[in-house]
Amino acid sequence: MEWLFLVVSFVAVLAAGMMLTRQNAVHSALFLIVNFGCVAFLYLMLDAPFLAMVQVTVYTGAIMVLFLFVIMLLGAEATTDTSGRMRWLGFAGTAVAIILLLIFAFPLASDMLANETVEQPDSRSQARVINAIPGGDVDAFTIRDLGESMTLEGRVSGSVLFDSSGDSLQDLRFDDVVYEYGRDATQRYTVLPAGEYNVIAGVELAGFVTSPLLAEAVTMTADSAHSVVFYENVEGIVDVVLMEDDVSAPAVGKMRLTVFNAVTDKQVSLIDIGQYTARRSLCEDDSCSSLIPHRVLIEQLPAGQQTSLQLDEGSYNLAFIDQDHTVLRTLADYDAERGLIETRVLVREPGVPGSQPSYRAAVFNAIATPAFGSPEAVGQVLFIEYVLPVMLVGVLLLVALIGVIVLARPDALAQAERRRINRRRRVNRPLVSVISQQTGSDVLSGDYMAKLTGGSDDSAVE
Amino acid sequence: MNPIGTEPYIVLSMVLFLMGALGVLMRRNAILLFMSVELMLNSANLALVAFAREWGQVNGHVFVFFVMTVAAAEVAIGLALIVNIFRERQSINIDELRQMQG
Repeated sequence: MEWLFLVVSFVAVLAAGMMLTRQNAVHSALFLIVNFGCVAFLYLMLDAPFLAMVQVTVYTGAIMVLFLFVIMLLGAEATTDTSGRMRWLGFAGTAVAIILLLIFAFPLASDMLANETVEQPDSRSQARVINAIPGGDVDAFTIRDLGESMTLEGRVSGSVLFDSSGDSLQDLRFDDVVYEYGRDATQRYTVLPAGEYNVIAGVELAGFVTSPLLAEAVTMTADSAHSVVFYENVEGIVDVVLMEDDVSAPAVGKMRLTVFNAVTDKQVSLIDIGQYTARRSLCEDDSCSSLIPHRVLIEQLPAGQQTSLQLDEGSYNLAFIDQDHTVLRTLADYDAERGLIETRVLVREPGVPGSQPSYRAAVFNAIATPAFGSPEAVGQVLFIEYVLPVMLVGVLLLVALIGVIVLARPDALAQAERRRINRRRRVNRPLVSVISQQTGSDVLSGDYMAKLTGGSDDSAVE
Repeated sequence: MNPIGTEPYIVLSMVLFLMGALGVLMRRNAILLFMSVELMLNSANLALVAFAREWGQVNGHVFVFFVMTVAAAEVAIGLALIVNIFRERQSINIDELRQMQG
């Protein structure tokens, strides 16, 4: 990697130097294109692939072609620099530039030589809350300075306190509520700096988090993602679990389906039942000797755990079954879109006690935060945070466009002015001049006038 | 993953910027002057992208976008001016453009 950087930067500097020293402007422009290409390569190495592409298309493509075009148009390839005037400025400039370079680059260079360890760029991890409680909201908090009574072991670089309130409970009264999540709320991952965190979750009672259900010190490594899942167990008590998610892009043409089993008294399997309509039980008879043909996707997932699988693109009929082959929930015509990352949490619906329990497969789409420097990431910042500057730059471009049009047509303007004057003159030309042009004699001279008027008089007499 | 820190990029950006500044000072050809200015803008962009990675913020990339846009507008206007000047004087040597001196 380092040799690559050295080679590319050497080529970039070399191309810049050649650009400065060539007498032929076309050669200079071509060397500048090489330099821009090298810079685009460096953008790639700096995790900015989108900018690299923009650099190639806009700079080396559009702008440099414009330069070359103008050079060719003017035929100004070889304008000499031998003006002699202010020649000393160049040498003075060189000296000042080198001095400046030494001043600026020396601390950096000495720093680089001093510590060989290369600092890693700031690493990021992600966390989110999944609320699969049938009723009640979940509030998520970020508390920077956690009270000592609640801190766990380990360095507290930042703490995430996820708190839940049940049906009868009110919203929390902590100051810094970050998010509130209703039922089945889908949350974007919150980006956190990688580090150690204490995740504390509990049921809130009268403004206090009583008896944390989850108090876990987690090391969130770079590029990892965690979910805190709230669900209700069979006894109707809120339970919570912290899981590590896989948010890497699924294989090409596939989607990733993650299933979390929040039905605490059952082991859940996910099967693909194909064309068959799901029945209450998949067993043809009591002995379960002949099952409807199916394909098992997930087998015997214990409660409070998750597993993920990749599905090919297409439409499926899926069913969640328990260990007794009873169908808990069917997902008919389930569309597997490519690139989708979906989490399904299977929960029991709160029902009348004693009645047949019903189940629900709540959907939580993992909207993965776009990769750093990707078009999506840049676009999000560009068009959400920087809308006004984008507009202003658009106006600037428009003004530049109009300015170029005006600048490029001074002759046309002059021509239009001339045409306007000409037109007025043509209209004001007296009739006599037209006659004189046609007859070839001077109309305004006395003879002709007299003849003209006299002739008419004669004819009138006759 | 990426063992190269931010400093080498900054040093390279400085070198390129100073070369561009030198070009502006030394060359008398207006088109080359413009190309040197482009070089300077590019080196500033390189520094912005390097710092964006250092801080893990995409804002630097967004700023590079704005710089590119301004550069495009500037080149369009500048080249139009150069074309006009060349039409009038048959030269784009900036030392000969002295009619604005009082």
